[in-house]
Amino acid sequence: MTVFKTFLKVLNKYKGTLILYTVILIFFAGFNIETNDTGTDFVSSKPDVLIVNQDEEVGITKSLVHYMEDHSNMVAIKDTEEARDDALFYRDVNYIIYIPAHYREDFLAGKNPVIVVKSTGDYQSSLAELLLTRYLKLAEFYQIIEVNEDALIEQIETTLSKEPVVEMTSHLDRNQLEKATRYFNFANYCILAGCIYVVCFILSSFKTKGVHKRTIISSTNYKTFNRKLLLSNALFAFVLWAFYIVLGIILVGDVLLSMHGIFYAINSFLFTLCALTIAFLIGNAIANKNAISGLVNVIALGSSFLCGAFVPMEWLPDKVLAIAHILPSYWYIKTNEYLKGLEVFDMDALKPIICNMGVIVVFIVIFIILTNFISHKKQIQK
Amino acid sequence: MKNIIEVKNLTKTYKRLKAVDNLTFEVHEGEILGLLGPNGSGKTTTINCILSLLKYDAGSISIFGREMQPNAYDIKKEIGVVFQEVAVFEELNVYDNIDYFCGLYIQDKKVRKTYIKEALELVGLEEFQKFYPKQLSGGLLRRLNIACGIAHKPKLIFLDEPTVAVDPQSRNNILDGIQTLRKKGATIIYTTHYMEEVEMLCDRILILDKGKILASGTNDALKALAHIEEKVSIEVMDLEETYIEKIQKFKNVEEVSYQNNLLFITYKKGNNNVTELIDYLKEEGIHYNKIYSERPTLNDVFLELTGKELRD
Repeated sequence: MTVFKTFLKVLNKYKGTLILYTVILIFFAGFNIETNDTGTDFVSSKPDVLIVNQDEEVGITKSLVHYMEDHSNMVAIKDTEEARDDALFYRDVNYIIYIPAHYREDFLAGKNPVIVVKSTGDYQSSLAELLLTRYLKLAEFYQIIEVNEDALIEQIETTLSKEPVVEMTSHLDRNQLEKATRYFNFANYCILAGCIYVVCFILSSFKTKGVHKRTIISSTNYKTFNRKLLLSNALFAFVLWAFYIVLGIILVGDVLLSMHGIFYAINSFLFTLCALTIAFLIGNAIANKNAISGLVNVIALGSSFLCGAFVPMEWLPDKVLAIAHILPSYWYIKTNEYLKGLEVFDMDALKPIICNMGVIVVFIVIFIILTNFISHKKQIQK
Repeated sequence: MKNIIEVKNLTKTYKRLKAVDNLTFEVHEGEILGLLGPNGSGKTTTINCILSLLKYDAGSISIFGREMQPNAYDIKKEIGVVFQEVAVFEELNVYDNIDYFCGLYIQDKKVRKTYIKEALELVGLEEFQKFYPKQLSGGLLRRLNIACGIAHKPKLIFLDEPTVAVDPQSRNNILDGIQTLRKKGATIIYTTHYMEEVEMLCDRILILDKGKILASGTNDALKALAHIEEKVSIEVMDLEETYIEKIQKFKNVEEVSYQNNLLFITYKKGNNNVTELIDYLKEEGIHYNKIYSERPTLNDVFLELTGKELRD
């Protein structure tokens, strides 16, 4: 109990640091949750369209123009071909429709007049093309059965006015999952920094030259002492993880009590273990508290930035992500991101998660081996 | 007399340097043994070998009649160590620091509480229990260092230069504390640079240099090894060379030197050397101020044995 009690007393001295990291987590995770609300409601988008009408705006021509106006953002551009080309190049407009002269007459006469178009070739222009094709195909279809122009226009407009009903088939609360992912991604920084900082500082205190010598000389079995110290640190890491899970439940709610939550928790638990082994490695290699402080910032901030804890992974350059592969944070955040879109929990769907977690376990093993190696080498030197 | 420690033919080499060279000595129950020697003489290495902090190349060490080994926890239970460097937790206050180190030996909470109280009293830190190491002066910090090493009431105590860079008040307190520990029956090994501390505290002294024992014995026995018996220094202004030559010819005079208006004379033997000298100065009308007479120190013994000062 002496070792554990002293561990707690020393830990008490670093509670300020832990509170600071927790406040940062609450503040920034909360901020992320509010500002990165991606929203998953269906909203149809409108392309930017320019209509160059050389026909009179009456009858079927007028109907076509009105339909396009209703379903697109009509753009006003200088009436020269050069200005239109520039507008396309600079994406000021996605789609230009040239309605030729006598279009109405030719269409009603069944001559199939050609409408020339220019497009940027992107998603928005495809949308505009879809709208135009939809109108023209309907017009062609109803022209066969309706001779009267007014009746033809009425038929077309009635059919087109029927809006499709869009229903989301997924039962996931995407908004909550997004929030949970943001929270756990940001927790990457707090777990790493909190764990490494506190564990390294406590180890450094226990391993201070004189204190360590006194411990070796004492009648306490040194192996037992080491085991107690390791267990105390592990217990601290566990409590830190549990606290962040409870905080997560408070901040992001029910999603953490679902299957998703279980996997977020397992993933963060493995990552906390990994952070603990990193802390042991640093604590064994470095005794200087100033150096530890600097290193904590480099490791925690560096890997959080490189692996997408602060900004979404998809915004990071490929080269940065390639480098990030060598960091445990990358696999932890990758799992969080994957969990966000996971709908079923069968073996096939869980394979990527298991693989990512496997990589973190490999990191844990590597860090343990390195710690033992350094510790053994130091003992030989002594 | 019962031997608490028996060191036989201890040898420890660092690469090519022999830090301890075939050392053999015993420490008797209840005595204070002083290890005296300059830096690098092998004092700390010897202690580290005895405590099994270092592996040694040859020899044997037994404590309380049993072979000392890293896992000899029953022996370690009876040992207390005070290192040269202050070895405490910065994050713990005075009481908690003593509690931790005492707790490594004593599991019973009540007993530990009593022991901590006694240790605090011994080093005079009762009023500083809630202070953190950073808030203590150098002297008080050294006292805390001692309290951490002896709180569990060990039978054998190693004190490695416990008074280095300590103010006179703390030094006296520490030395008094050591005397008290001995009175309570502890056996103490005391290493230091300060000859006066060794002379005051130690029953026996080992003088070490280059890993070897140069001489050992009681304070008086060691001083008897010196060829000089008295050292006199007098403050005299502008003494002429002829007077110095005359003094050189006095009975029992070993050596005379005159520097910065101070006349130094060493005598081989005799008791009335100063009287003869003062009579002569009066006779010649030479004015003098202060006169100091002292017996040879352990430093003089060391100087004669090695040709260098203990502090070199």
